[in-house]
Amino acid sequence: MQSQDQTLARLMALAQDGDAVAYRTVLEESRRWLLRYFSRRIAPSGIDDLVQDTLISIHAKRASYDPARPFLPWLGAIARYRWVDQLRRVYRQDETELEDVHGVEPEDEAIMARISIDRMLAVLPDGQAAAIRLVKIDGLSIAEAAAASGQSEALIKVNIHRGLKKLSASIESA
Amino acid sequence: MNKPSIDDLVADLQPVKRLSARGGVSLTGVALGVAILCVASVWGLRADLMIGDPPGIVMIRGGSLLLLGCAALIAVIGIARPAVGQVNSGWKWALAGAALFPIASLTLMMKEGALPMAALTASSAPWCLAISGMSALLIGSVLTAWLRKGAPTVLPQAGWLVGLTAGTFGTFAYSLHCPSDTVHYIGIWYTLAVAACAGLGRLLVPPLIRW
Repeated sequence: MQSQDQTLARLMALAQDGDAVAYRTVLEESRRWLLRYFSRRIAPSGIDDLVQDTLISIHAKRASYDPARPFLPWLGAIARYRWVDQLRRVYRQDETELEDVHGVEPEDEAIMARISIDRMLAVLPDGQAAAIRLVKIDGLSIAEAAAASGQSEALIKVNIHRGLKKLSASIESA
Repeated sequence: MNKPSIDDLVADLQPVKRLSARGGVSLTGVALGVAILCVASVWGLRADLMIGDPPGIVMIRGGSLLLLGCAALIAVIGIARPAVGQVNSGWKWALAGAALFPIASLTLMMKEGALPMAALTASSAPWCLAISGMSALLIGSVLTAWLRKGAPTVLPQAGWLVGLTAGTFGTFAYSLHCPSDTVHYIGIWYTLAVAACAGLGRLLVPPLIRW
């Protein structure tokens, strides 16, 4: 993973200078990485959209990458940002139709673990993490989540709201 | 509308100028310089500063404000270039150091058993808030414009820190004119100016830097 990171960091530096071949490699490798990254946490039908949104963000914000620093933590921060942004949009639209997810397990690698979304959810109090997991990830309705978790429906809503707010603030936390 | 594919993104590739820490520091430094020039030319600097003989408390408060402003600025610069696992906590220690002024003021109030009426009713207090606020507005606008080029992912924190940086440097600019040098005045009015700017930053900045 470290050598992959170093290679991507070098290629991204070339891409910032306008090297199209290096840039294509960065985007394709990032796409593969993002597919793995989101596969456990997004309904399969939404993965391609979120990956594409994240690639567009990489393109728009490529000047913010510092080649002296590792590439994957930068990519991970952008991926988390887009993921939380999508959760918030779904929350605002009151859509709870996400399907249950049985995606590919990400590779068991230290850097992947450090920037995983699970680790991000782990910073939340149990009630908030459970509410987000049940409604936003597993796709249960508010009533079903309340029954499954033992929380009231009102508390589920409050916990989702507070949890998303806290997730937004902890995007860069390891 | 179809989203651009990897082919489209590659076709759209242009060389970009990397977002450098030096750029953020330079722009903020220039904005602070302009704020100080405005304060000096419109309201004038303290006489003891002009002759290079300021009292100790003026040096200590100026140093505290600069230290806090620099620490907050470093955190803002880190936020512009995101990374999971990035820790920028230096500003918290600098803030704790600067908090000694209001803490000392409060301690003195308790010891004296009376409110510091002279500081509370000082005629310069509205100017403290107004000049610090105007300077902060200039510095905060420049910093926000620079931050928009980056990829901030923790927007509420970015808002607080932009406000804190701008408020601290703005208050520093005012402090060069400030006629008062009591702990109560600094503890009350400087704290209020910095806190108000940080709060305004939290409210105003996140929508401007969302991407």
